[in-house]
Amino acid sequence: MFVLLRQLERIRRSQRLPSGDPRWLGIRHVDAGSCNGCEHELGAVTNPYHDLQRHGLDIVASPRHADILLITGPVTTRMAGPLLTAYRAMPEPRLVAALGDCALGCNILGHAPELAAPLDLQLPIDIRIPGCPPTPDAIAQHLLAALALDG
Amino acid sequence: MTTIEPIEPAAWRATIERALASGERFAGAWATERGSGLGWRALLVGEGGTRALSCNAPGGAIDTIADLTPAADWDEREAHDLYGLRFAGHEPMRALATHTNDPAQWMTPVHGDGVHQVAVGPIHAGVIESGHFRLHVVGERILAMDPRLFYKHRGLERASEGLSPEQALPYLQRACAACAVANTVAYAQAVEDALGLRPDRELRVTRTVLLELERVYNHLHDIGAICAGVGFAPGSMAFAALKDRAQQAIAAAFGHRFLFGTIAIGTGAAALDATAADTARASLRELRTEFAAAWRELEFTGSFQARLGGVGVLEAQDALRFGAVGPAARAAGVPEDVRSHSPQLAYDGFAPAMLPQPAGPAGDVGARLRLRAVELDASFDLLDERLAHPLARGVALAGGTANTGSVATTGGTGGGRFGAGRVESARGATACVVELTGGIVERVHLRTGSYANWPALTHATAGNLLPDFPLINKSFELCYACVDR
Repeated sequence: MFVLLRQLERIRRSQRLPSGDPRWLGIRHVDAGSCNGCEHELGAVTNPYHDLQRHGLDIVASPRHADILLITGPVTTRMAGPLLTAYRAMPEPRLVAALGDCALGCNILGHAPELAAPLDLQLPIDIRIPGCPPTPDAIAQHLLAALALDG
Repeated sequence: MTTIEPIEPAAWRATIERALASGERFAGAWATERGSGLGWRALLVGEGGTRALSCNAPGGAIDTIADLTPAADWDEREAHDLYGLRFAGHEPMRALATHTNDPAQWMTPVHGDGVHQVAVGPIHAGVIESGHFRLHVVGERILAMDPRLFYKHRGLERASEGLSPEQALPYLQRACAACAVANTVAYAQAVEDALGLRPDRELRVTRTVLLELERVYNHLHDIGAICAGVGFAPGSMAFAALKDRAQQAIAAAFGHRFLFGTIAIGTGAAALDATAADTARASLRELRTEFAAAWRELEFTGSFQARLGGVGVLEAQDALRFGAVGPAARAAGVPEDVRSHSPQLAYDGFAPAMLPQPAGPAGDVGARLRLRAVELDASFDLLDERLAHPLARGVALAGGTANTGSVATTGGTGGGRFGAGRVESARGATACVVELTGGIVERVHLRTGSYANWPALTHATAGNLLPDFPLINKSFELCYACVDR
């Protein structure tokens, strides 16, 4: 575990963040119809083993406070509206992260009339985190790389 | 073999009424669609086992049974919204899966001086599944709560139709990650029931171990969630870490943190050799020691304990009336657990874990919390015993009686087979039913422990303080994905 965290630190340093870059990013999560696996693992990223917050990333309560909109699930017809409302409520610049294979449009299971258009046709995806579900380590790694993306 | 009995539409109500009077309980209902005709089926559970009743719905209508057993309320509303089935006497028929903009279509009318509404969701403040709650309050007192779910409805049952049972398995698994094992075992049991297959001892033992591992990480998670519900960070962090430890051990043994891909139909899909079983057993022993220490900390934290008593009370009679299952029902003093009668699994001599008198059954948040701790001990005991030996894949063998033709008598398509499976998930009794025609899934329906418990949670919320709603919600810790499918 600690070996991994050291490795993450190295990745972060190797990207040589200019001193003016943000040291903190807020993440607003929207479940657009997941199986709850991605939620469990995203929750695990904030547990004492992974502790994402110490790297300057945190889950925030409102899209108004968020820099990253992180989406799980294949986007159901009933969640398409709330998802876009949350996106429009965010200040710019903003990033969109697709967490898990469903949000990335891979191997989606469902009945076509119940699903809206795939996420990448609705919003510009900046961060892609594959997996079913992605492990907490993978989620942390992709989000830490995003710290270098913004700016 | 689960029988399915055809009932004349005119006799539907009277038949259900008679069954309930003789001690059978409602365990789910589902609509079917054959050509232009709609059908309606119900699953009943009694001392003698499980049986299904079936009837046609002439003109798309059938008598309601929701007044006889409120446990059927959501099932009828779902069939109305998703299949267009009408229920005579179910008034008002509030929308469940259909999301209309008119609040009168789905909300309880609550009027009076100072009554106002608090709307929560579908997007919540933390990392939580999507769902909407409309709380009717006076001051801080909740008068009533209307949950509006199905935001996550993916149509998994419809999507499974026309597939082979094996092809449909991933759809059932993806209904919910946290209940993946329970849901797929219930499904596999249903298909095996329909095909007349019986799991051998190895398959029964391996499935039992997987189910209990799923329960262990879920119960650890749920205890942490209750801590989070009152803002007790040390408890929530300690149990989040324990849950992660459990999932790490699970991934080390079976290759996936949610045990995806460990259940197949008619055979096993997971095994452990002696060394791997030994490693898993040692990890679980260590985890159990740390769980005991963390639990003791919770028990002696007065500020935490003071928040749990008398909150979100579910009384035994209401648990029975609303068809509550699992820890929610047992904490209310209803000793129901599918594991007590699971001949397709290896729960020999199982007795439901109940709270010791005089501590329970209070049916409140504290009782639901303590019950999970008691159940964790029972699960750790069972796993320790089972993992003393290697786990083999096992197989389900022909030996049961295939239900050939049983569906044909009611549906009229010929050659159909029916099967049902019931499993105790971390949230309670989960039932799955399948109707196969020519080896193809014609209908599959999954009714999870979460689905069964939402009406009870709604009832237990009324009368409490608004700030306690998240705590009450967490003490049931129901999945939305499992309900919405």
